[in-house]
Amino acid sequence: MTLIQILINGILLGSMYGIAAAGLSLIFGTMRIIFIAQGTVIVFFAFLVYWLFVKAHIDPYLCLLIIVPFAFLVGLGLFYALFLRAAALEDKNVSLLIAVGLMYLIENAILKVWSASPRGINFSYQGAVLAGWGLRLSWVRIGLFALAMVSGLVVYLFLQKTRLGMAVRAAAEDMEATTLQGINSGWVCAVSFAVGIGLAGVAGVGMATVYSFDYQYGFTFALKALVALSLGGIGNVFGALAGGLLLGIIENLSDFYLSIGWTPAVTYGVFILVLIFLPHGLFGKRGVVKKA
Amino acid sequence: MANLLLEINNLSVAYGDIRALMDVSMEVYEGEIVALVGSNGAGKSTLLKTAAGLLRPQAGQIWFDGHDISHMSTKHRVDRGIVLVPEGRRLFQTLTVLENLKLGAYLPRARANYAESLERVFDLFPVLKERANGKAGLLSGGEQQMLAIGRAVMAHPKLVMIDEASLGLSPILTRRIFDLIVALNQQGTTVLMVEQNIHMALNVCHRAYVMKTGHIVLSGTGEELLANVDVRKAYVGERGSKL
Ligand SMILES: Nc1ncnc2c1ncn2[C@@H]1O[C@H](COP(=O)(O)OP(=O)(O)OP(=O)(O)O)[C@@H](O)[C@H]1O
Ligand SMILES: [Mg+2]
Repeated sequence: MTLIQILINGILLGSMYGIAAAGLSLIFGTMRIIFIAQGTVIVFFAFLVYWLFVKAHIDPYLCLLIIVPFAFLVGLGLFYALFLRAAALEDKNVSLLIAVGLMYLIENAILKVWSASPRGINFSYQGAVLAGWGLRLSWVRIGLFALAMVSGLVVYLFLQKTRLGMAVRAAAEDMEATTLQGINSGWVCAVSFAVGIGLAGVAGVGMATVYSFDYQYGFTFALKALVALSLGGIGNVFGALAGGLLLGIIENLSDFYLSIGWTPAVTYGVFILVLIFLPHGLFGKRGVVKKA
Repeated sequence: MANLLLEINNLSVAYGDIRALMDVSMEVYEGEIVALVGSNGAGKSTLLKTAAGLLRPQAGQIWFDGHDISHMSTKHRVDRGIVLVPEGRRLFQTLTVLENLKLGAYLPRARANYAESLERVFDLFPVLKERANGKAGLLSGGEQQMLAIGRAVMAHPKLVMIDEASLGLSPILTRRIFDLIVALNQQGTTVLMVEQNIHMALNVCHRAYVMKTGHIVLSGTGEELLANVDVRKAYVGERGSKL
């Protein structure tokens, strides 16, 4: 396998981490917590895709049209049911603990509904490969990359070009000052949380097309997204996406040149080193994360 | 007699066990500049924040433009025309100057007047027009204060409450900001300003209230208070600055 092949595989695989990290970044912006249940929520959506595929024979990519709007609504519902009051508190530990509780709740709900055995889907073009220039690229992995790029672009346009997106950026900087403009900051937080969960929906579809997953896989995945977020620097969506791609590359390099057994150690080693030496990430600006 | 615009009746506010305002009453009439002065920790910011809806009163009412707004959300208060320029300006530093101004005109009523308000802000503060597409965080202190006031003007308010416009500014810049506040007032916007720079504040305001540890202890016209021996002793030093 050539180095280029390894790098490209890394980027394609890292797309998943990127989408998840972008969601974490958005949610962190307004809520000031690492939404630790993100990975489990992604796995939950992957199970829904599995269901839609097995029971209704809906093409996994077509599932996006159902899963993403549904995820957005789930996000709004979760925010108003669980986080509205906690998000207004000075002490962010409350929100964090609710997220931990939510993670275990969803894990156990998945366990009850779908059992502990891992699931995955097999569809007709899953094994299709794009070959040429001495490279072999799997189409579903290219699909992951496309999902990441498109959703990154959509979120970027939302944040930069819409009034509500502008309010989200304002709220991420100073919630009280946002309220003082007459803006309903509870709603703004709910929307940014829901967009983050919408991204989890996209990631869930991506996961279903490539991985096999079980009810416990989400936590590991959330940790990887957190590593990607730390690489990219918290507080900017493109940084988070890029951090995901970079993590994918690191993992693939480690798989190939060391061994698969070493990869988790490398991943978390990088995580710790980045936090110690580059606490603002590789692309993050100093002072992006200011007062809560 | 001008209309009574803001009426605060027997207001009490506490942070947990710490009582910050005790039985405070005051009025602001349409067209006035009213100054609220007093030493550190007197409760001035608490009063403005409560009027803006960030804090809930324990007792008392706040009437604005003939309506009891005591239990309204900040959003509905802003919509009725009462806005706060908070202490320390609290701009959205990573957003552009223009985006900050747009956020000031977020509500439908303000948005309907957007073009007109923007022209008014750029007229008052031409430098903001020059810097419109630059990041707010890159403005100088004086410009940041102008933007903070401009952002409030974008809400198309009847009453602008300004908490320590002079914070961190040189006396010359403070003078300029005060001139601009007077200009804003002459265009018909009522102003309630909290100030540490008591001498200058008493000079530009129509009336003033003096606060001390959560109570209003004195009130009168600017001239009356400037002439008042107690005020001079307590707050207006030899060189005319605070304390
Ligand atoms: N968030 C808070 N929690 C607890 N106590 C507070 C809080 N904010 C203010 N206080 C207390 O309430 C009292 C009034 O504070 P406030 O900020 O209103 O004073 P101020 O007149 O604006 O003072 P300054 O001139 O320093 O701005 C002070 O004793 C202060 O310590
Ligand atoms: Mg104050």
